[in-house]
Parts: sequence; structure tokens; C-alpha cells
Amino acid sequence: MQFFFYTLLIQLAFPVFIPFIKNLKIRHLTEEKNLSAVAHALILLSLIPGFASTFAALVWGNLPQQGISFFGLPEELFRFDSLALYFLGVIQLIAIPLTIYSYSYVNHYIEEGRPVKSFLIIYSLVLVSTQLVVIANNAIIFLVCWEMMSITSYLGMVFEREKEEVQKGSFYYLVVSHVIGFLLYIFFFLLHNQSNSWLISDFRLTPDSGSLFIFLYAISFVAFGMKAGFMPFHFWLPRAHPVAPTVFSTFLSGVIIKTGIYGILRTFQILPAPPEWIGWCILIVAMFSAVFGVWYALAQHDIKKLLAYHSVENIGIIGIGIGLGFIGSAYNSIPIQILGFGGALLHTLNHAIFKSLLFMGSGILYQNLGTRNIELMGGVVNKAKYFVLLFLIGSVAISGIPPFNGFISEFIIYNGFFKTAKELQSYYPLLMLISMVVLALVGGLAVACFTKINSIMFLGTARKETKTFHVSVYDYTALTILAGLCIVIGFYPFPFIGIVNRVLSTGFVSGNSSAELFSLNWLMISFVFVSIMAGVITTWFWKKALMKKYGARISDPWGCGYDRLDARMQYTASSFADELNEVSKSVLVYRKKIERPLDIFPSKGSFSSHSYDLVDYKILQRIYGYMVSLFARIEILSHTDIRYYIALILVTITFYSLLAFLWI
Amino acid sequence: MDLISLVLRILFLIIIIGLIPLFPGFVNKQKAAFTGRIGPSVFQPYYELRKLLRKETVNSTGSSFISLISPVINFVAVVAALAMLPIGFLDSVISFKGDIILFAYLLGLARFFQILAAMDIGSSFEGMGAAREATFAVFAEPIFFFTIGSIAFISGFTSISEIYLSIKLDNVAYIVFIVVCSISVFILAVAECSRMPVDDPNTHLELTMIHEVMILDNSGMDLYLYQYSSYIKLFIYAILEASFFYPFGVQSYVFGITLFAFIILMLSTFLAVVETVTSRFRMKNIPYYLLFATAIGVLNLLIITFTK
Repeated sequence: MQFFFYTLLIQLAFPVFIPFIKNLKIRHLTEEKNLSAVAHALILLSLIPGFASTFAALVWGNLPQQGISFFGLPEELFRFDSLALYFLGVIQLIAIPLTIYSYSYVNHYIEEGRPVKSFLIIYSLVLVSTQLVVIANNAIIFLVCWEMMSITSYLGMVFEREKEEVQKGSFYYLVVSHVIGFLLYIFFFLLHNQSNSWLISDFRLTPDSGSLFIFLYAISFVAFGMKAGFMPFHFWLPRAHPVAPTVFSTFLSGVIIKTGIYGILRTFQILPAPPEWIGWCILIVAMFSAVFGVWYALAQHDIKKLLAYHSVENIGIIGIGIGLGFIGSAYNSIPIQILGFGGALLHTLNHAIFKSLLFMGSGILYQNLGTRNIELMGGVVNKAKYFVLLFLIGSVAISGIPPFNGFISEFIIYNGFFKTAKELQSYYPLLMLISMVVLALVGGLAVACFTKINSIMFLGTARKETKTFHVSVYDYTALTILAGLCIVIGFYPFPFIGIVNRVLSTGFVSGNSSAELFSLNWLMISFVFVSIMAGVITTWFWKKALMKKYGARISDPWGCGYDRLDARMQYTASSFADELNEVSKSVLVYRKKIERPLDIFPSKGSFSSHSYDLVDYKILQRIYGYMVSLFARIEILSHTDIRYYIALILVTITFYSLLAFLWI
Repeated sequence: MDLISLVLRILFLIIIIGLIPLFPGFVNKQKAAFTGRIGPSVFQPYYELRKLLRKETVNSTGSSFISLISPVINFVAVVAALAMLPIGFLDSVISFKGDIILFAYLLGLARFFQILAAMDIGSSFEGMGAAREATFAVFAEPIFFFTIGSIAFISGFTSISEIYLSIKLDNVAYIVFIVVCSISVFILAVAECSRMPVDDPNTHLELTMIHEVMILDNSGMDLYLYQYSSYIKLFIYAILEASFFYPFGVQSYVFGITLFAFIILMLSTFLAVVETVTSRFRMKNIPYYLLFATAIGVLNLLIITFTK
């Protein structure tokens, strides 16, 4: 794995050397376009072998890999165990198409005449720091990389900083990152206190620590759960994603929130086995995230906000798997753990794949149509058929519908429910049944949501005048890679199941390895999928032949006697989702504003609907309001001069430092 | 399972698919009889299908590849779902651990593309139908899992055919449980197959319909495939319902076939009676109707869990 560090160095090369490029006096390199090409090529060329080495280590290597030192650094600073390698693989796998996509995305900025150097630097740094986070074995290095990841992704988010919405939306992310950082400091310092070591692999609790580990679990879930976007802490996602450049929102949603999942799984590995109620807490929180994540998504009109809520939903599904695994570990049942954690791990990979695909698609739509509001789109399918097909594959996959990859991981989680009920008996069948119904409900809502956005955005006729719809070769390459992965994992899941099983059996689930994941009949599922494919193709040709024989033509749809149908008379996304939104109106804070045209000579009528985030709108903003009014009252030291503030900060720091010295 | 029995089962499945349009034919004939009409022959669905097969296929102006591919996907997905069910004396063609999930999701696949195809036409009428279908499907989804799923959890089997095989009507509590389950499934069937009192398959008043309005602008080959898949879907739910009462393990083929045909026939009579005596609900009330089925499913489940 030493090789991996070289790939990291290559990725770092660009940010390090960029100040010197001007002095090099190479004429072509000073042009932004060439600069971006060089930077992306460097990243891509280092990512591909990096991913290959990770993949090889996961499939064939001896896990956990030991004794890797680099440039004389102590070898225990980084750890390449199965869990780290798995998440590293996910990051690199997503980063490859993302880099290809990023090249064409940056070209748009260059055409606008925007300097993109900072974008390229930030992108390299975010990639490197995220990869380092998952392999760091030293708590300090972990925290440094974690902060670097948070800060660089924040910087990427505010790339278009002159826009007001960008400043507002990204602020939440910044605050949340700090809160997470703060909690993680407490978490690691407590662990260090217990074990007297900074190495994550050496963290142990002393026997007399009592119920400290429950407190540690709680901190870890709040901190990492905030990063992942579990329900009460999800509020930053729908704010941050719409304003970030698509490259960063893709990376944020596809990869960075997964580091939260990584953190939770690591905590499970470090700390002693949790009591059962912790598992139930996760399961319930995850179920809430899944159901209301997708329900909120249904009420959105902004495509990126909608996808952000879908991240909350999918993190919820991953959380359901993790919760099952925790319950399994409380009962020391290996099959339940394998199915729960296995489903969660595979869904992590799957979600990274299809969510990146959808986010990139949303970026392409935004660049071409100039709006993120799905109510203004439409008719894209007539301009870019292949693009729509790729987006559709991602949509079917994310709804968990066969024959794509979303179904495979949800199927494992469903089997986890069955297994738990069978192994634990008593009242468990009932609880597991309810969990299963919740997951099925999420599936139903996801179908409603993705049929909504696909049909409103792509089908029918265009609601807004657009010239052409241009999708570059790079965009298509990136999307095709991801859609191809969706199809491959769906039709041929064996290798991926194998990897997940290997990750779990080498050092994650204690006890002897179990073949639980292989006892599911994957062969039969592949067989069914292939037969469906064959059936579709045969029926298609039969249909084609008959249509040729008896004729086929194109005609206007029936307009109920009205013959001036125009684009505005098509069905809208708000009406599509209205009935479902009405059901959970109070949670969604779903408001409609209707002005009816009433008089004999009707005045202009209007209709608008909007959903506010409950946590954001009802809790956070209210607290913020109280805080503002509170501070307004105790505003005794208010001066407009910044020097007073600096002096105050200095005094405070001196005070606390003195206190610390005296205490020691 | 050996190859010959598999081939035989597939052959039987094809024959059954061929016979399926008889079922709505029977229902309509009996409905006509109850309302004092003579009604069309029981073979009427066949005549209609044959007519559609020979008609020109017309697609909407703005429509895309989704309109072309959707009827095909719909048909194949529904057939694959049918292949997972035990049809009385016949074992299911596809059967493996956890196929109950695949079954539910295959119907989801069919629905996904049906909704997309309806929206593809670009007319508000189809949009209305599509939105309703998506909405009611969300309410219908839990019912399936609260009934068939609950039997799965009680018996410990996760394959639909095994789940049905495990039903042994030997104690009173369990019989009551199964009967209530069958009521829930019937309500689900009515909603999913767009029958009265949720939807009226006979009217063409587009403002009040769900399934019919989605395929309003389809014709020829497309409509043929949609109609056929909706017949198959109706039959799937008929099997789900009938299998509660079919004593699996009957050895004699002749007896098995007769018994199963009889149960299906009784079911068609029941459906005809229900459709005769009820009128369509208002759209607003359909979620409550579906929630009612969910509620009795939950209650039923609680009772069986705590009486065990």
C-alpha cells in the first residue's frame, strides 16, 4: 500500500506547485484551460492506480495490511484494515468519474471568465484529505485530516461566494462542521485518557470506566451522525447542497457524508459491544430519517435540495442496517451482524454510485437550463435521449427497484429483518415486521418521488425556452461509468458481495466468519433479472414487428376538446406530489398559497406551495431568534472598532490559559 | 428441481397466462347478471385483445422512448411476478429465500414505468391518473407486508410459495387470523387492480379514474400489452387471495385443478357482488379505505402475536 501514498503525492502536486507555475514561463500552462486539463489529468492518473491497488488489496491482499511506512514516518500512523480499505475504495471509485465530470464543469467556469485555480487546488485538497481521514490511525492525524476535509469542502462550497444564497446556505455547514469538530475532540481526548495512546487501533477502555462507553457512543453518534445527516441533524444538507458547485455537492453527498458512517462503524469497532437499546435507538432514528427524508424530498421543487433530502433517506437506510448489526452484536449473533452491517456497507457503496450519478445529472441540467426549479424544466428527452436514459437508470436504482444495485443492498437488509425475527423470536417478529413495512413505505415514497422528477423534468414539452441541450463527452463518460456500475452490481452482485463479506469477516464482526451473505440466492436473482431482460427484448421485437405490420403513427394527445394545448397546461410537480404532502402536512410544514380568480371578470389567480424544514424552520431559527434578542440585551461591550474585539479575545485567552496553568 | 419439471411448470404457466382473460370475463358476466342484463360473453376480453392487436399504434406527439418501452417492461415484470406464485396445484416457477421482497418490488418496477409512460404523454389527464397511482401505491405497499409479510414472520419462511404452504388451518385463532388477512388482501387487490369501489374499470370519466386514465391515450399494441398486464395483475391478486383457502398438498391433479378453479370462480362471484353493491368512493376517501386495511392488518397481527 506504499504505492497509495505516491498517488496521494501526485494529487497534492498541483496545489503545491501552482505558485511556481508562473515562474516556469511555460507559455501554454498559464492559460486556465490547459491548467485545468493538467490538474485533472494528474488527479485522474493517480486515482486510477490508487483505486486499483485498493481494490486488489481488498480482494486478494492479506487483511489487515501491516508494516507500511512512508518516508520514515512511523508505520502505525496509518492503518489499512478492511474497513479503511473499503471506504477508501468507495472514495476513489467515486472520485474517478467525478474528476472526469469536473473537467467539463470547470470548463464552464472558464468560459464565463472565472479564475479557476482556487477551484482546482481545493478539489485536490478535498480528495486527499478525505482519503487520509479513512486510513488515519492516529487520532491527531484523524482530527487534522477531518478538519481539513471539512474546511476544504466548505471552501469549495463557497466558490461562487458573491451570491447571497451561497453565503447563507454554506454557513450552516460551517457551523455544523465546528460542532462536529468540538464533539470529536471530546471523544478522542476521553479515549486517549482511558488508553494513554493516540492510536485508534490501541484505544481501549479501562475496566473501571463503567458506563463511560455509553457516553462515548452517544457523542460519536451525534458527531458522526451530524456528518452523515441523520434526521434531527440533517438540516445542513438541504441548505448546503443547492448552493455548492455540483462537483462539490456530488462529493459531499456521495462521499463525505459516508465518512460519518465510517466513523460510526469505527466507534463500534473500538468500544465494547453496545447494549441492545443503543441498536434500537439507531434503528428508530434511521427509520425516521428514511421515511421523512424521502417525504421531504417529495415536497421539494429544487432538484438539488430534493437530492439532498434523498441523501438523508439513504443514510437512513444505511442506518437501519447498522442498527440491525448493533442489535445482532448485543445478542452475539453473527448472521444478524453480517446481514445488517453487510447491507449497510453495500448500500454505502450503492448510494455513493447512484447519488453521484444523479447529482452530476442535476448539474448538467442546471448548466443547460439555467434553473434548479423542476417546475420550469421539461421536454429534455427530445433533446438528449441518452442523458435521460442514464439519469433514469440512477433513479430506478435509488428507488430500490430491480434489476439495479439499490435492490441488492435493500434485499440484504430485508433478509436481515427475517433473520433477526427467526433468531431472536419472542416479540421480535412483530418489531421486525414493522421495520420491514417502514422500509417498504420508503420504497413506495421513493417511487412516487422519482417518477415525479423524471416525468416533470424530462418528459412532455419544455416549459421554458432553451436553445440547445449540450452534454459534453466528459459528462457522458462520467455518467456512463456510474450507470454501468449500477447495472453491473444489479445483475452480477457476487464480487461485491464477496468484498463486503471479506471486509466483515476480517476483523470487523468478531467470531468466525460466516457465509450468511452467500446463503442468499444471488444466482436465482441474477437469473430472474437476466430472464426479465431477455423477456423485455423478445417482447420488444414482437411488438416492433406487429407495429410494423399494423402501422404506427404519432398524433396529438386528446385535449378534451381544447385544441390550443401548451406547455403550461401540463401536469406540475406540485400537483403530482400534493396529495401525499397533505398527509404529513404538519411535519413537512407544507404551506399552500392560493389566490383564486373570483369575479365575473376573473382577476389573475396564482398558486404556490412550499415546504419548510421542521428542524430548521421551527427549532433552529427560533433558537437563533432568542439568542439574537438575548445578546442584544447584554450588549454592553459593543463597539464598532475591531481592535476592541481583538483585545477582548486576547484577555479571554490569557484568562483561560492562566486558569489552565494554575490547574495543572 | 429437475429440468423436466421446470419446463413443465413454464409450459403450464404459459397456458395459465393464456387463460387469464377469462377471469375478468367471468366477473363482468356475473356483474351483468346481478344487474339484470345479459351482458357480453365471457370471451369478450379475448375479442377485445384480438381487436387491439390488429389496430394501429398511436403515440403522443411529445412522447419518447419511455412510451415505447414501458408497456413491454410492464408486461414482463408482471409475468415474472406471476411466476413466483404457486398456482394451486402448480409449484411456482421461481422460488427462493426472500422472493417475497422481489415479488413486491417487481410490481413496483411495473408501476414505476406505468407512471412514467402516463406522464410521457404530456397531457394533464394522464398526469392526474399517474399522481393518484403513485399516491395510492404508497398506502397500498404496507398492506401487502402486513398480511403476507406477517405470515412470513410467523411461519419463518420467506418464499411466497413456502409461506402459503405453511398455512395450516388447524386452530381457531389462526383461522381468524388468516380470514382477516384475506380481507386485507382483498382490499389491497381492489385498490391495486383498479376495481370498484376504488376505481371503476368501465367508466371513461377521466376525472374520476386511476388506471384507465393513465392509458387513455394509448392504443393498438401498447394498449394490448397494458390491458393484458392489468388482467395478469388482477389474476395475481386473485391467486394471493385464493391461496389462503386452497389446501396445498393435494395429490390428485384432477381434484387440485377442479378445486382451484372452483375457488377462483367463487372469488370472481364475490368480486362481482362487491362491484354490484358498492359505488365508487370519492378520491379523498381512498387513503382512509387503504388505511383501514392496514389497521385491521396491524390489529390482527397484534392479536396473533399475543395469543401465541
